[in-house]
This record gives sequence, C-alpha cells and structure tokens, in this order.
Amino acid sequence: MSFYDDSKYPVNEDVSEIHARQFEQLGSPGTWGTSALRIAIVNEARQAGYEAGVMEKPDNPGATPDVKLSEVAHRVIRRLAVSPKEMDQVFYDQAIGEGLTDVEYVEILGLIARFTCFDVFARGIGVPLRPLPEAQAGSPSRARPETAKIENAWVATIPNPPDGGELAKELFGLWQPYIMRGLSLVPEEFKAHHELEEVQYMPAAHFMEFDYQHHDGLTRPQAEIVAARISALNECFY
Amino acid sequence: MGQNINLKALVDRQLDIEFPGGVELLAFSDALLGSDVNALNNARKTLENSMGPAAVSAASIIAATFTKNDRVANGSGIPAEPRMMDGAEDIREMLGLKNFRSAINTYRHLPEGHP
Repeated sequence: MSFYDDSKYPVNEDVSEIHARQFEQLGSPGTWGTSALRIAIVNEARQAGYEAGVMEKPDNPGATPDVKLSEVAHRVIRRLAVSPKEMDQVFYDQAIGEGLTDVEYVEILGLIARFTCFDVFARGIGVPLRPLPEAQAGSPSRARPETAKIENAWVATIPNPPDGGELAKELFGLWQPYIMRGLSLVPEEFKAHHELEEVQYMPAAHFMEFDYQHHDGLTRPQAEIVAARISALNECFY
Repeated sequence: MGQNINLKALVDRQLDIEFPGGVELLAFSDALLGSDVNALNNARKTLENSMGPAAVSAASIIAATFTKNDRVANGSGIPAEPRMMDGAEDIREMLGLKNFRSAINTYRHLPEGHP
C-alpha cells in the first residue's frame, strides 16, 4: 500500500517510500529531542499553519503527545513554520540567548523544513495531511559533531573536507554547498534533507545538465519556474 | 536553441512570463502557499487541464522541496557561495533579490562595494 494511495494524481513510488519512511522515523528519538517532543514540534508547526490558513486540518492528524514546549521553542517553531521570510540573526541570537541550544535549534529547523515540505506536497495534490506516528520510547543520541564550527552561517556547520574530518568525508563526499551543510550540526537532519533532495528535486549528479528532466509532466525550465516562484514568495536570497 | 522566458514575471505577477505552462505554474505556486483553498483547487484544476495530471504532482513536489530549502537557508543564515554570486548581478538587480531580508546573510561576507 502506497503512502499516497488516496491521491488522484500520480505519485512516484520513490517519493511515497521516502515520505513514508521519514514519517515513521519521526516516531523514534532524534539527536536532541525525544520522539514525543519531535512530534509535538511538528504538531505545533501544523497548528501555526492551520491558524494562518495555509494548511487544512485533517480529520486524522495522528499522534498528539502531551508535551509542553518552552516559550522560546514555541516562538521559533511558529516563525519557521509560517514566516520563513522574517527569519534573521537577531531572532536566532535571541532564541539562543533565551536558552535554546544551537543543536536543538537546528533539529527544530530540520524537522519543520521537512514536515512543511511533506504537508505542502499533500496540499498540492489535494490529499489530507498524513497522520503523525505514535511516539516510541527511547533517549536522544545527543551526539554533537566534533568538527562543527561557526563558518559563515549563524549556526555551526561541519566544514567541507578536509577540514571537517572523516565525518565530513562520509557525509559530504568531496564537497557540499551551504544549502546542504546548513543542517550538518545535526547529521541525521543533514542525511534526511539530502535524501529528499536526491528524490524530490534531482540527483546531484544531474544538477548541471540543464536539459535533464527528473519529473514526469514538467520540463526542467518549468520545474525551475515553480522553484523560483516559491523561493520568491519565501524571500529566499540563496 | 533555448526558449526565452520573462524572468521578471517571477516577482511581478502582473507580467506575462512568456513561457509554455508558466502562467498556470505560477498561479498554482501562489495558491499552494496561499490561504485561499478555493483558489488552490481552481489553480490545481487549471494546471491539470492544461498540462496533465503528472504536472500537478511534479509542481507539488518541486514546490514542497523549495519550501523546505527556503526554510533551511533563511533559518540557518547560510550565505550563497561565491560561485553562485559571480556573473548574476543583473538578474539579482532585476528581481530585487537584495531587498529580501535573507540577502544580508550573503552580503555581510562580501567585500564592501560588491554588486
């Protein structure tokens, strides 16, 4: 059974599989948050979307663990969920000053970026948001990459090889741009983000082939029109 | 030989993008991030009628992907790589990208006076 069986529009099996897997993984502990906390973060982001009118609440939203989010986490989640164009370093520094750690922030950022992605896709093809999984027991791994440091982003990142060490080689290969390394302070978020890129946008090996068509139904220029318009709406300079 | 496209229509919706399917794709993108569900339903149907059902799925997954990437970029404060900045000043100027709040994340790392 496919994750998007209820869609009247065709969904590639690799997209269905990776979305199903990443939803299932939300039910497990992350690097800095328990499963219940991570699900609560996604639920809070969805709530912000419902209130802003940019998401429709499904009949079955799935698990809603009873977890109280801190005031600063609540504020960060809501800003990232519905006002990404208003993010700036002052907001980030304030969040860190109020007790959110940089690694917690990056895990929240990765979760909201990914689950907003899934929710926007569901809305696009006209199906209800997928239900969130039940929380599983277990503790976060709390593993901070030793080579991560402040480069040119607000958040610490793992430098490209050789400066990033063996972990950088393992994660990045020869080199990765900042748009991929931005989440590398939490390597599990980097991996999840990277695997979505390969399936949803295109394999990196084809990126510079301008006549390469990864999607049935859209040529590369047509895909780039959508990409550019979405980034303009979100005011993303990158 | 490549087809022309009116890039300015990416930021000014009063303009015609002058590319096959472009009008429908822009309308769908706007509606997908917007708060009018009827407008979204209409834009989805128009896109389907004009380009086929696979175009709806493809446009949705691209929109989803970039709304993810935009959050990663704007939320982590990453700069654009120098190789991305070289030779694209005219496009940034035309599209008004420097006015985005996130532009400072790149320009703060560039020499003063860099276009």
